[in-house]
Amino acid sequence: MSLFTPLSWGDTGFIFQGILNTIYISVVAIVIGSILGLIIGFFRAESGKFGNMLIGGVLDILRSVPLIIQLVLFTTFMGVAGFPLDPFVAGSIVLSLYTMAFMSEVFRAGFESVHDSMVTAARSLGMTYWQTVRYIRTPIGLRAVLPSWIGVALSVIKDSALVSVIGYMELLRTSEQLISRTQQPLEILIGVGIFYFIISYPLSLYGKRLERKMAL
Amino acid sequence: MDYEFHWNVVINAWPQLLDGAFVTLHVSVLSMFVGIIIAIFLALGKMSQNKVFSYFSNVWIEIARNTPALFQIYMAYFGLGAFGIHLSPYFAVFVALVFINAGYLAETFRGGFQSIPKTQYSASKSLGMNPYQVYRYVILPQMFRKIHYPMTNQFVWSILMSSLGILVGMNELAGETQRLQSLSFRTLEFFIAAAVIYYVITKFVLFVANLVSKKLFKGDI
Amino acid sequence: MKIIKKISTAMAMVATIGLLTTASADKLDNIIKKNVLNCGVVLDFPPMGYFDKNNKAAGFDVDYCNDLAKALGVKSNVLNLTWADRIPSLVSGKTDVVIGSTSDTLERAKSAGFTYPYFVFKFQVISKKGAPIKTFDDLKNVKVGAALGTTYESEYLAYAKAKGWGKSNYTSFKSENDAYLGLYQGKVDAIISTNTNIATKLQTKEFKDYIAGPFVPNYDDVVGIITKRSEVAFINYLNLFLVHQIRDGKLEAAYQKHFGTSAPESLIKSLRDNK
Repeated sequence: MSLFTPLSWGDTGFIFQGILNTIYISVVAIVIGSILGLIIGFFRAESGKFGNMLIGGVLDILRSVPLIIQLVLFTTFMGVAGFPLDPFVAGSIVLSLYTMAFMSEVFRAGFESVHDSMVTAARSLGMTYWQTVRYIRTPIGLRAVLPSWIGVALSVIKDSALVSVIGYMELLRTSEQLISRTQQPLEILIGVGIFYFIISYPLSLYGKRLERKMAL
Repeated sequence: MDYEFHWNVVINAWPQLLDGAFVTLHVSVLSMFVGIIIAIFLALGKMSQNKVFSYFSNVWIEIARNTPALFQIYMAYFGLGAFGIHLSPYFAVFVALVFINAGYLAETFRGGFQSIPKTQYSASKSLGMNPYQVYRYVILPQMFRKIHYPMTNQFVWSILMSSLGILVGMNELAGETQRLQSLSFRTLEFFIAAAVIYYVITKFVLFVANLVSKKLFKGDI
Repeated sequence: MKIIKKISTAMAMVATIGLLTTASADKLDNIIKKNVLNCGVVLDFPPMGYFDKNNKAAGFDVDYCNDLAKALGVKSNVLNLTWADRIPSLVSGKTDVVIGSTSDTLERAKSAGFTYPYFVFKFQVISKKGAPIKTFDDLKNVKVGAALGTTYESEYLAYAKAKGWGKSNYTSFKSENDAYLGLYQGKVDAIISTNTNIATKLQTKEFKDYIAGPFVPNYDDVVGIITKRSEVAFINYLNLFLVHQIRDGKLEAAYQKHFGTSAPESLIKSLRDNK
C-alpha cells in the first residue's frame, strides 16, 4: 500500500475544486459583508454618540480577535449549542461578519466625506432626507471609497485561506492534503502562491489607478 | 444546550496561556520593529531612480501584499525546508511577518514620503544637512506623525496574524490554547479564554500607541 | 357511553406507552430509527484513518465504523474530523460516535464517555538510520518533534521535564502529517509517533532509510471509542460490540488488511487486560 504518491494530472480536479471553494466563499463574504457594512457604516455616520459606542464596541471585538480563533470558537459554540454547522456555512458567517467590521469603517468614512454643504444644497432644492441619501450621499460617498473597498475585498480573498482550520476544503487546505500525500511542498506551494497573486495583483493595480484618478 | 462549563481547567492552565501570550507579544513587537526598518529602505528603493532597487522593492512589496499570510508562513517553514533551510516555527512566523510588515508598511511610508512637500528636502539640504540628517531630523518625524494610524493598525494585524503560528506548531497563544484544549477536550472554554486575552492585548497595544503618539506628536494628528 | 369510555382509556394507555417509549428512546434507538450511523474518524492518521489515493476515507477506524453500522443494521456515514472536533461533534450531535484513536485519559473522561479499549498503541521514535539514538534518553541530544496536543507530545514533554532536559530541542507540528514532512525535510532528527503509523511509513520508499527506535518508556496508549457521556446504554452496547470484534475475528481481519500481519497476542492481551 503506497501512502505517498506523487502529484499527478488526476489531482487537477481536486485542486480546481479548492480554487472554486476559495472563490465561492470569498464572493459570499464580500457581498454579505459589503451589504451589512453599508448599513452599519451609514448608521454609524448618522447616529449620535451612544449608538456609535454600542456598535463600535461589537465591531471592535470582531477586529481584535484573530480570525482563526473566531472561526474555531464559532464552530465549537454552535456545535455545543446543538446546531452543528457545515464548514462552509460557519466559515461564511464568520468571514462575512469579519468583512462587515472592516467594510463599515470604509463606508462610514465614505458617508462622512460628503461635505455637509452638498446635503444642505440638496435639502434647499426640496429633497427629503432619504432622497438626499439615495441621490447625493451614497453615490458621492461610495465613489470616493472604492479603492479602500477594493483593498478590503482583496484581503478577504486572502483571509479565506484561514477557513481551512475548520475543515473547509478551500485552496490552501486542498494543497496541504496534496503536500502530505506527495511530500513535495515547494512545487505545490509555489503554484498556490501564483494563483492568489494572479487574482489579487490586477485588482490591486486597478484600485491604485482609481485612487490616482480620484486624487486629481 | 446541555454543556457544562468547566472553567477550573482553564484557571489551572492560566500560566501556560500567559506564556503563550508573551510569545505572541514579542514576535509581533520584533517583527514590527524589523519590518519598519526594512520598509523605510523598501519605500526609498521603490521611489529611487535606480532600476535595480525599484524593481527589487516592487517585487517584494507586491508579493507581500498579494498573497495570503498563511501561504507566506508555509513558504518560510516548509518551502525553505525543501531547500534544507530549517527555520524553527517561531522563526518562520517571524520571517513571514517581517516580510509582510515590510511590504505593507513600505507602501504606507511611500505615501507618507510623497506627501511631504519637496521644499522640506531642499530647505534642509540648503542648510547643509547630509541625506541621513535630512531624513532623521526633518522627514521621518513628519512622516511618522502622518502615518502613525496605519502603523498601529499594522501592529494590531501582526498580533492577530501571529495566531497562524498554531498551524506550524509554534507555541504562541493560539498554539498553547490548541495544545491545552486537546489534552482536556475543553475546547469552548479555552478558546473563549484565548479570545479574551487577544482582545485585551490588542486594546492594551492601541492604548499604549495612543499614549506614545500623543507624547511624541504634540501637534494635531 | 361505556364503549367510548373503554376506547378512550385504551387510547390513553396507548398514548402513554407511546410517550414512555419515546421518552426513554436513547441514542441506540435513535440511530436505528434514522437508519444511519454518523461515525467520526480523524483522517490524518494512517493507517487508522487516512485518504487513499482516490481521496476517499480508509483505515482501521473507518473499517470499525463500517462494522458497527453493519452490526446495527444501518448505513454507515463516515465523517472526517479534526482532532479538536471530536468532542464538540458529539455534543452537537453531528456524530453519534467517534472512532478516532482517542486516548482514554481520565482528564478527557470528564468530558466524554469512553468505551473499553479497542486498540493499543505504543509510542515510538522514528529517525534516520545512523542517528545516534539507541535509547529513549538519547533524545536529549537530538532535535525531536511531535504533533501538537497529542498524548505522546505531553508524555515526551513530561519525561523531558522530569529529566531536566528542557524544551529547546523540541518542535511541535500541527499534525501527524506535518511531523512526518518535517522529519523528511530534516527539520528534526527524530519524531515521536505511534508504532502503527511508523510501521506503515517505513514501508514507503520515502522513508526507507529510516528506522523505528526506542519506545516511550512505561506508556501504552490505550484508545477507546467515544460517545456522549450521558449515553450509558449505548456505551454498554459499544462495549459488547468490541468484545464481538475480537471474538468474531473482525479485529484480526482489519489488522491484516491495514498492517499486513496478524494481530499480535500482546495487543489482544492488552485489550483484555485493560478492561
